[in-house]
Amino acid sequence: MSETSEQLVNLTINSKPINAPGSLSVIQALWHAGYPRVKSVGCLEGVCGSCRVMVRRADSHELKMELGCQLLVEEGMEVIFLVFPNPTHHTYQLEDIKNSWEVQDQFHQIFPEADHCRHCGGCDKSCPKGIEIERGVDLASKGRFGEAGELFVECVMCNFCMTACPELIAPNHVGLFSRRVTAYFHIRPSNLINRLEMLRKGDLQITQ
Amino acid sequence: MTNGIPFSDALGNYTPQRFREPSNDPTKTRDLLEQFHPDYMPDSMTTLKVGPNQGDVCHKQLADVLQSDARIEEADLAGANTVETDILVVGGGGAGCAAALTAARKGAKVILATKLRLGDSNTVMAEGGIQSSVEKGDTPQMHYDDTVKGGHHYVDKPLAAQMVMDGPDVIRWLIQQGMQFDVDKYGDLLTRRAGGTSAPRVVYYRDYTGLEMMRVLREALTNAGIEVWDYNPTVELLSNDQGHCAGAVVSSLKNCSYTLVKAKAVILATGGIGRMHLNGFPTSNHFGATGDGLVMAYRMGAKLRDLDSFQYHPSGLAYPQHLAGTLITEGVRSAGAYLLNGHGDRFVDELGPRDHVAAAILRECEEGRGVQANETTSGVWLDTPGVELRNPGILKSRFPKLLQLGRKCGTDPAQEPLLIYPTLHYQNGGVVIDGNGCSTVRGLYCIGEVCGGIHGKNRLMGNSLLDIISFGRRAGEHAATEVLGRPHSNVSTEHLSELRRQLTLADMPMENQGPMLFPDYAKFETDSDYDGLHKAK
Ligand SMILES: Cc1cc2nc3c(=O)[nH]c(=O)nc-3n(C[C@H](O)[C@H](O)[C@H](O)COP(=O)(O)OP(=O)(O)OC[C@H]3O[C@@H](n4cnc5c(N)ncnc54)[C@H](O)[C@@H]3O)c2cc1C
Ligand code: SF4
Ligand code: SF4
Ligand code: FES
Repeated sequence: MSETSEQLVNLTINSKPINAPGSLSVIQALWHAGYPRVKSVGCLEGVCGSCRVMVRRADSHELKMELGCQLLVEEGMEVIFLVFPNPTHHTYQLEDIKNSWEVQDQFHQIFPEADHCRHCGGCDKSCPKGIEIERGVDLASKGRFGEAGELFVECVMCNFCMTACPELIAPNHVGLFSRRVTAYFHIRPSNLINRLEMLRKGDLQITQ
Repeated sequence: MTNGIPFSDALGNYTPQRFREPSNDPTKTRDLLEQFHPDYMPDSMTTLKVGPNQGDVCHKQLADVLQSDARIEEADLAGANTVETDILVVGGGGAGCAAALTAARKGAKVILATKLRLGDSNTVMAEGGIQSSVEKGDTPQMHYDDTVKGGHHYVDKPLAAQMVMDGPDVIRWLIQQGMQFDVDKYGDLLTRRAGGTSAPRVVYYRDYTGLEMMRVLREALTNAGIEVWDYNPTVELLSNDQGHCAGAVVSSLKNCSYTLVKAKAVILATGGIGRMHLNGFPTSNHFGATGDGLVMAYRMGAKLRDLDSFQYHPSGLAYPQHLAGTLITEGVRSAGAYLLNGHGDRFVDELGPRDHVAAAILRECEEGRGVQANETTSGVWLDTPGVELRNPGILKSRFPKLLQLGRKCGTDPAQEPLLIYPTLHYQNGGVVIDGNGCSTVRGLYCIGEVCGGIHGKNRLMGNSLLDIISFGRRAGEHAATEVLGRPHSNVSTEHLSELRRQLTLADMPMENQGPMLFPDYAKFETDSDYDGLHKAK
């Protein structure tokens, strides 16, 4: 990082030719060039998953999925902002799973497609966070929810993997389901429970 | 400011050292704040001329929007669709989700309308964690005392007392929604200490507490069948014959039209003001943090408080530009990182109160001892290589997110210090509420960062995530009970006529329109995609 990174680069964003300093993200480059941009902007810090873009770099034919607030402009880049896909059709309520012995059975009823994974790797390739999604889906279908959920720690729910999956598995929701059942059934901190008991009995009061 | 030491010179002079003399600067906090803290800049404040807080001190930029003209006229609403619901929740961050979930589970019909997508919020960005007294050596009383002291004794005491007593049950509730927390090998919640507290009390999930909270609440909410309207910013509240709140005007960015939502109760959870960039500061806040809720509530007649008090976090990234304002957690200084000026000297106790440290950084830059990155950007060093030198491996094991940030800046924080500058972080004040989140206007609830009182004039780390869930649940529950069997009333924008009358009487300029909705650099006002939502000037 130094003063010299202010060199201008040429690229296109949503087919508009843009000339912007190389230190800008593609969202900032749009703003810098005077174009409005309201949708697909959220945290601007890489954690909300709003700013989905598709990129082709000058030296490659490959299309890559990235987060627009995290992607710096480069010479010759082509960038397209993507709209957010419709929500998944999978739906469930944790309260409907009566106890932890039933989680695996319920999982397959809620996510029947998870068993049909083609191991095509499409999800992994599309993930801007480098998550091992395919493996996560596999672990979840074997009922290993704790392990599966661990893989999705950094998931920002950008839904790229959902769009990429030919079997409509909604792998990110599989990951989140795995994480949620783990908390719901297995996080039982004794320090918290003890404190709740003391509060229930009225042992702890506040003098203002 | 271009009087600092040039970046390359300063970097050339820098070498990591095991030890540097601490600063012996005797300046008292009060004097430092008065001279350098943005809240004390005399020409940044003004007195409100109209509305429920007439005569109160308020930041000028905020006053401009609080006393601005409405975005809509009666005529804009002529052809608008009308929709009815029991409860309208405005804002899809943590506070709004907690309220919506609780109210819907009590049987109320809920619509949640939010400006961006559900979860695009300050909540998703929180890293540090959430305060709740669960450790043996800690009590709710200690939590309360810390909160009152931290808020410089401007705290609304009953609200703070209620919030700290809610703490443990808030964590239980979050776990029941499926949120994970870091635990030790026996399954007990791990805690860490926040600045200005007397016990380790912050529970957390890695550096991702807000992300974990937000994705879980979003999933719970969408699965509970609550109607979510994303890209639907609310631009105004609606009043009934008695001046109570009876709904809102929602604008759709998808089809560029207005909808009148008739609601028996409205819960405002629109968050903070970072993207107003007060005094030209960068911000750590998300794109939608433009103070809209304050403006809409104020026009309805709701009382606000502490409109002159904002938190500037000392360690925002100063450079490169595309990351300016990004937060670097206080934990790095807790781990022993020095702050160095352009001469390589320490100039403040790095672990002093946030406002004191921020003011000291501003002093260094103003007095020419800062590091000048380019014409507009200066800052001071956060000496991360020094920490690494003293504790090899610590950055990798404890601050993975910091290393990732370094990669985005093109530097390795283990080798090169990061340039930092205070960043606008949190709105301390806001709407006056009671223990159920009721504002001074009937039918209008306000929860989360849009409110004031709970944190006085300075918030402790971890108390905001607690406040949004504690008050979110209470408001949701209270509103759901209140609306039972209550009929809808006639809605109007009568209060806007009153606003315009008052503005004219006070000789106020009417060019400005509020709420802001988006920062000006997004060019919403001139974007032809949204012509249907622009008022003819
Ligand atoms: C980088 C960062 C780190 C933080 N770390 C911590 C931490 O470790 N611990 C802690 O306790 N606190 C932390 N905070 C503070 C805390 O995250 C926030 O104060 C809190 O999450 C606010 O929650 P909220 O629901 O009130 O507002 P938000 O989460 O900001 O949600 C407000 C929502 O309302 C929407 N909205 C705004 N205007 C309108 C409108 N006109 N119409 C409709 N919708 C609208 C917004 O888009 C947004 O979705 C941090 C904040 C930031 C920015
Ligand atoms: S797992 Fe899927 S939703 Fe999550 S970050 Fe990766 S691509 Fe996005
Ligand atoms: S994209 Fe779908 S089918 Fe392909 S590997 Fe991933 S989960 Fe399996
Ligand atoms: S704007 Fe949130 S991830 Fe890019």
